[in-house]
Amino acid sequence: MTMPHTALAWPVCALELLPRADRQRLLALCEPFVLADVLCERSETTRHVYFPTDGFISLVTTVDERSGLEVGMIGREGMLGAQLALRVSVTPLRALVQGPGTAWRVGAAPFRREVARSAALQRGLNRYVYVLMGQLATCLRFHLIGPRLTRWLLMTQDRAHADRFRITHEFLAYMLGVRRVGITVAAGALQRRGLIRYHRGELTILDRKRLEAVACDCYAADCKTYSELIR
Amino acid sequence: MTVAPDPKQNRLLASLPRDELGRWLPQLEPVEMPLGQVLYESGRTQSHVYFPTTAIVSLIFVMQDGASAEIAVVGNDGVVGIALFMGGESTPSRALVQSAGQGLRLPASAVKHEFEHSVAAMHLLLRYTQALITQMAQTAVCNRHHSVDQQLCRWLLLSLDRLQGSELVMTQELIANMLGVRREGVTEAALKLQQTGLIRYSRGRITVLDRPGLERRCCECYAVVKKEYDRLLPDRIAS
Repeated sequence: MTMPHTALAWPVCALELLPRADRQRLLALCEPFVLADVLCERSETTRHVYFPTDGFISLVTTVDERSGLEVGMIGREGMLGAQLALRVSVTPLRALVQGPGTAWRVGAAPFRREVARSAALQRGLNRYVYVLMGQLATCLRFHLIGPRLTRWLLMTQDRAHADRFRITHEFLAYMLGVRRVGITVAAGALQRRGLIRYHRGELTILDRKRLEAVACDCYAADCKTYSELIR
Repeated sequence: MTVAPDPKQNRLLASLPRDELGRWLPQLEPVEMPLGQVLYESGRTQSHVYFPTTAIVSLIFVMQDGASAEIAVVGNDGVVGIALFMGGESTPSRALVQSAGQGLRLPASAVKHEFEHSVAAMHLLLRYTQALITQMAQTAVCNRHHSVDQQLCRWLLLSLDRLQGSELVMTQELIANMLGVRREGVTEAALKLQQTGLIRYSRGRITVLDRPGLERRCCECYAVVKKEYDRLLPDRIAS
């Protein structure tokens, strides 16, 4: 099994990163939750926040039913619902479970109370929001599909507990905001170079190191920002 | 400087409780913000935050090969330099004055202090951050899926909302850099908008002739961003 980025010092769950007292209070409020499907659409009232332990979530901006763009990814290194720390109660983006798994879930009201009472929690969340903003800014029009797809694969592998995942060309096209044929061509190229194997909807990461070399610099920038601000 | 900028011209400053703004005033330094001025480069830490009053600033993401594209626009609606209070070490984007004007700047230590000690200031700045996030996400998806002329409409409308009047001085080259497209794409898009009577574009001066028409022509991205700003931030200052 290829190892994730060796410089990542990610927690088992982002709750681990909190100061002890805050963490204990939050854990007392948490319930385990199975991540699946769409957790929220944009512009809904935030009901819960989620701290994934395994499984991971894509944040997506949509322009219509079929067209969108993934603008962030949340796994065990983070949480879904950071808008509460910004004193915003409405969900800003669609949150779609991409990798099944579990999360700790806390109600919005108790979480808000915790943020209000803990300056350390507020500061940590502000930094995390800043990390997510960095992801938002990535991969604008110039990066080609191959490097963008590679970045996406690396980010996914970092959050999945496996080298292998089931994913369709359609889904990748939706995430990257490109046409399906572009994914087919880009994935085909990565496969020919021995970096991945992609067969019948199952994608396996074969050569992590070389994938890191192919990815656009957005991948390294995101890892760096996270390690500077969070851990 | 002829007339000093009025802090109340900036929506965020105008929303602060009166006594708080009073505390900020001695530290708010009026500045000229000339076209093309780089307020800070990506990867650097900043010394100040800026509250534009009449200037408009572009936050630009710069690629390793030097190509660039705008990720958000900040004018009298907001503040430039959120990294300072969000705890970011450095900024991933460059802040560049896109439309000349004035503003007020506050030293890093002052904004951090206010952010940490004033609930009202903190809440205001955090809500502004959410509005900026929405703009960035919508800009990204607009770049991906919408035509150049729709993107140009979005960009024009967002810029105009941050200016007095219906005129913008901007070269096609600069707009091309903002949108991250080739100059020819901008020429073509601008021509289309001119041909349908929505704008007049002559010698680097864009005049919007039919604002409702421009909004109709635009993709939904402008409305999404505007709605979010109006929802999150207090009422616009009466002009």
